[in-house]
Amino acid sequence: MSTHHHHDQDFLFKYVFSQDHKMISKQFLITGFIMGFIGLIMSTLFRLQLGWPGESFWIIDKLLGSWAENGVMAPDKYLALVTMHGTIMVFFLLTAGLSGTFSNLLIPLQIGARDMASGFLNMLSFWFFFLSSVIMLISLGVEGGAASAGWTIYPPLSALPQAIPGSGLGMTLWLVAMALFIVGSLLGSLNYIVTILNLRTKGMSMTRLPLTIWAFLLTAIIGVVSFPVLLSAALLLIFDRGFGTSFYLSDIYIGGQVLEHNGGSPILFEHLFWFLGHPEVYIVLLPALGITSEIISTMTRKPIFGYRAMIGSMVAIAFLSTIVWGHHMFVTGMNPFLGAVFTFTTLLIAIPSAVKVFNYLTTLWKGNIKFSPATLFSIGLVSTFISGGLTGLILGDSALDINVHDTYFVVGHFHIVMGLSAIFGMFAGVYHWFPKLFGRMMNNKIGQLHFWITIVCAYGIFFPMHFLGLAGVPRRYYTNSEFPLFDNLLDINVLISTFAIIIAFGQLLFLYNFVFSALRGPKAPQNPWDSNSLEWTAPVEHIHGNWYGDIPEVYRWPYDYSKVDENGEYIGGKDFIPQTTPLYDNETDEAH
Amino acid sequence: MASITLQDLNTKAEIRKKTAKPLLWIGIVSIVMFFSGWTSAVIVSKGGNGNWLNIELPFAFSLSTIIIVLSSLLFHYGLISIKKDNKKMLKLAVSLTLVLGLLFVVSQFYGWKELYSNGIVATGSSSTNASSFIYLITVFHVLHLLAGIISLIVVSVKSYKEKYNSTNFLGVEVSIIYWHFLGALWIYLFLFLKYIA
Amino acid sequence: MMVLLVSVTVLLVIISAAQILKIAELSAISKGVKVYEISEKDNRVQAVLMLVFLVFYFSFFAWQYLKWSHLMLPVSASEHGVGVDSLMNVTWLFIIPVFIITHILLFWFAFKYAFKANRKAVFFSHSNKLELVWTLVPSLALTVLILYGLNNWNKIMTPVNSEEDHVLIELLGQQFSWGARYAGDDKKLGRANVNYIEGANFMGIDSTDNNCKDDIVVKGEFHIPVNVPVQFVMRSNDVLHSAYMPHFRAQMNCVPGMKTQFNFVPTITSKEMKKITNNENFEYLLLCNKICGAAHYNMQMNIVVESKEDYAKWLSSQKKFGSSLPNPSEGGALVETQK
Ligand code: HEM
Ligand SMILES: [Cu+2]
Ligand SMILES: [Cu+2]
Repeated sequence: MSTHHHHDQDFLFKYVFSQDHKMISKQFLITGFIMGFIGLIMSTLFRLQLGWPGESFWIIDKLLGSWAENGVMAPDKYLALVTMHGTIMVFFLLTAGLSGTFSNLLIPLQIGARDMASGFLNMLSFWFFFLSSVIMLISLGVEGGAASAGWTIYPPLSALPQAIPGSGLGMTLWLVAMALFIVGSLLGSLNYIVTILNLRTKGMSMTRLPLTIWAFLLTAIIGVVSFPVLLSAALLLIFDRGFGTSFYLSDIYIGGQVLEHNGGSPILFEHLFWFLGHPEVYIVLLPALGITSEIISTMTRKPIFGYRAMIGSMVAIAFLSTIVWGHHMFVTGMNPFLGAVFTFTTLLIAIPSAVKVFNYLTTLWKGNIKFSPATLFSIGLVSTFISGGLTGLILGDSALDINVHDTYFVVGHFHIVMGLSAIFGMFAGVYHWFPKLFGRMMNNKIGQLHFWITIVCAYGIFFPMHFLGLAGVPRRYYTNSEFPLFDNLLDINVLISTFAIIIAFGQLLFLYNFVFSALRGPKAPQNPWDSNSLEWTAPVEHIHGNWYGDIPEVYRWPYDYSKVDENGEYIGGKDFIPQTTPLYDNETDEAH
Repeated sequence: MASITLQDLNTKAEIRKKTAKPLLWIGIVSIVMFFSGWTSAVIVSKGGNGNWLNIELPFAFSLSTIIIVLSSLLFHYGLISIKKDNKKMLKLAVSLTLVLGLLFVVSQFYGWKELYSNGIVATGSSSTNASSFIYLITVFHVLHLLAGIISLIVVSVKSYKEKYNSTNFLGVEVSIIYWHFLGALWIYLFLFLKYIA
Repeated sequence: MMVLLVSVTVLLVIISAAQILKIAELSAISKGVKVYEISEKDNRVQAVLMLVFLVFYFSFFAWQYLKWSHLMLPVSASEHGVGVDSLMNVTWLFIIPVFIITHILLFWFAFKYAFKANRKAVFFSHSNKLELVWTLVPSLALTVLILYGLNNWNKIMTPVNSEEDHVLIELLGQQFSWGARYAGDDKKLGRANVNYIEGANFMGIDSTDNNCKDDIVVKGEFHIPVNVPVQFVMRSNDVLHSAYMPHFRAQMNCVPGMKTQFNFVPTITSKEMKKITNNENFEYLLLCNKICGAAHYNMQMNIVVESKEDYAKWLSSQKKFGSSLPNPSEGGALVETQK
């Protein structure tokens, strides 16, 4: 636009303290990916231990240093790695990285707004997240090691440094980092909700919103409702740890001493934690579902099937997700009647989920599918959503959960339905909207290879875990070699770990493609996927305010793909009609 | 991108006008969830604990309730006045609200003092969950109130500079919504602590 | 040294692969090749890969099942476990067909409807009828599962009727071992609390409570009689633990400050199970299944299920808690027992 006078100053405000949603989106993406790679490396390291227990590894020796004498990680440090892996993946990669990136990028662009409601709060949201990431990483290096009580940080283990070294300074930093994370995430959610509700362009009614936006809206709403409760839970834990209260503690004898804490209950923490914890699963999942709905419709050249049912089922999922937390607590000694209620609500979620799956399938039916890497990952998501979702019927059934609770069956289930689905959604989103993010294109062939390696290895890792679980192997075990019962299962663990190593290397393909394309990839055309939604009418280069001149007006829903008249000719002459095209005479509006 | 144009400023103001109140409302929702986390925690703790201590709330807390209700009424009067372009009345109302707000904090301190002198302590071996929760909840309410006080200071400074008039009073409105909310939150917490905890 | 060499080689291979990729890509871009375009041929390849993957996925599933199903837990050794197992099987009967059908549809559609320039996609945006069908059918299936599941659940969670002949055992978890306490002849467990923990009395039994005199504390292994209901009470001394007895389809958390409970009727003795599993060394196990610290992975206790007579013999050979007290008469007053 205008000439640059104060270049240095500009740099700081353009790249660092930017209030522009597109830049903030990239900041979220890159920070999220860095955290994700760290989480991935951690998983590879502890998979080495599980596949070849007690064996010495050069890489473990080099990377873990004092955590692993002679290249064999210490048992409590194994737990620290698992805890940090879970925390990083769930919160940093798939909450902030996924939702932060795409909500920021797409909300203003797809609803037709100049920017977020408050650029300042948006910037703060990122910086809280960034600070939180830094503190979380620092906690890896402190005395006693990082938090080691599992990502669910159940007290008393997380409350007492005597119980495990990681519950010292490491746990304190974990809590501080999470508190910052929650504040950042709340600021983000506030902004997303208000922007969507108040700043839509002319003609963009709620029933003309792309499903991405609906997903981000519901995600943000769940976030606003459930994250504060986690904060309140974390504060009580902080007080128990440092200030002599006993909200979660009672009758404890540890380290040869009876503690003074009395009258509290760890179960209280579990209730508060899972009131966030379960919705968190959907905070991770819904954006991925929105992203892939949008991509599948665009790339099959078909309207998404059952737009309203898709919205309805997302609303149902979002609502139900807040009343099912008890399914994580069937064997905590909770009242059996409550257990029955939670079984009921939990299994109810299967209904909207099934609707979504069948709608995805019907969208593919009689389409004209172009297999971009984004399409592949979206189809992958449908597969993982089914494969992982179905085992949820077992875990949600209290009678069955008794015997598989906290086993590897659970690890297999949630990695597939939440981890893989969300990661696939995130990859799909990056491949699809890369031109919007960086103004350049990614390489398809490498992307396709990346997909096939990832999906094969991913199932190779997580499918066998169900068998481990059914053989009775508990999760969070440093090794299975202490039990003759599990001796025959070593093969399975070797297989899993091998796939885990391959998948980690497979991600290098993505890393390469991402970095190379961002810097040297070919320039993006205006609308590379012949898509209908509004973001593709914005100029390829990033400008403040998103559109030159006026914001375009919207006349139709975003899914008019392959719409034909009575003679079977495409209306408008092409197989897509952008939202900015007014209705033709011979046409009825889909979004009635 | 480098320079901010007049048009940019206009859109910014417009966006602010459209979104300031919704932002606050949703912020309020999250604060409500934060406190309902704790009040449900009280219920869960009480349910699982046979010897839950029922604590008599100090008189000062009742006094605080009256103070905060008065302050809300006054502030509202200020809003009505500025809508009629009565700048003088706004100044008066806002500054009095500020004074009452500070009085509320003082009164809360007296409440804690009274609790403490009755042997009800927040932490340590002679504390119980019931006593810890009382302090925790009331202290965090005051922490949220401090944000309200800051906004009152801003609003009163601006009203003394005559920044508001009958067409421009968004700042007052935003501040008042939050302040009313703090009052309502306190009443809820007070009744909860008195009758349920 | 070997590992170092391998690592360096791997690193070099990665770097050179990246370089080659980069050069190839740059030259393609400079020649104007659109690296982001999907040619029809390329699209065809992906479509075929969809089918290949479908076959791979199903074969992988089948291969795992054939290779590993004998490693899964053997038949349930408890009465309610039989019900749980059949509930599990019924659930699989729902899950596996849905899994197979939806996956066939997914990958078949992807294969069949791959892009062709001369074909038009069908504009099909909704159908209330279809959507109603796939709301109602899962709802019906779920109703069956929920009712069947809750029926089992309620039975499992009903405590043993105290009138009935039964064994009462307290399980105590602590970092990192288990203890078991039998209620003894009076069928009552004496009071216990962390404040009484001292020396060998790791369960914190209050020696002034007369109900504790005949209690029996064991470590390392505990016995239960076959076909007699066993009522467990769980406690923890320090952090959360979970008493997991997979062969009996039994699990309950041990929560400090709280007592939890679980019960089952063992139906297969250890000896019989050795035969069933064809494994001379088979032992029933109690594992810890809630992260509890560094040695969580190694917190176990053996369980022996035996005939009533053998059990009685074993029990009578164990030392009563009262006999380990320095002065049995010291306790004095009868204190009312805890439930
Ligand atoms: C290839 C990548 C991955 C591998 C090999 C892997 C492997 C594992 C394994 C084996 C465990 C269980 C460790 C134990 O219980 O002892 C685990 C735990 C976990 N993983 Fe992953 N994982 C991967 C990616 C992900 C992703 C993408 C997510 C995102 C949701 C994720 C989230 C978690 C969580 C939440 C836990 C539980 C941590 C805990 O028990 O506290 N992982 N992972
Ligand atoms: Cu859940
Ligand atoms: Cu354990």
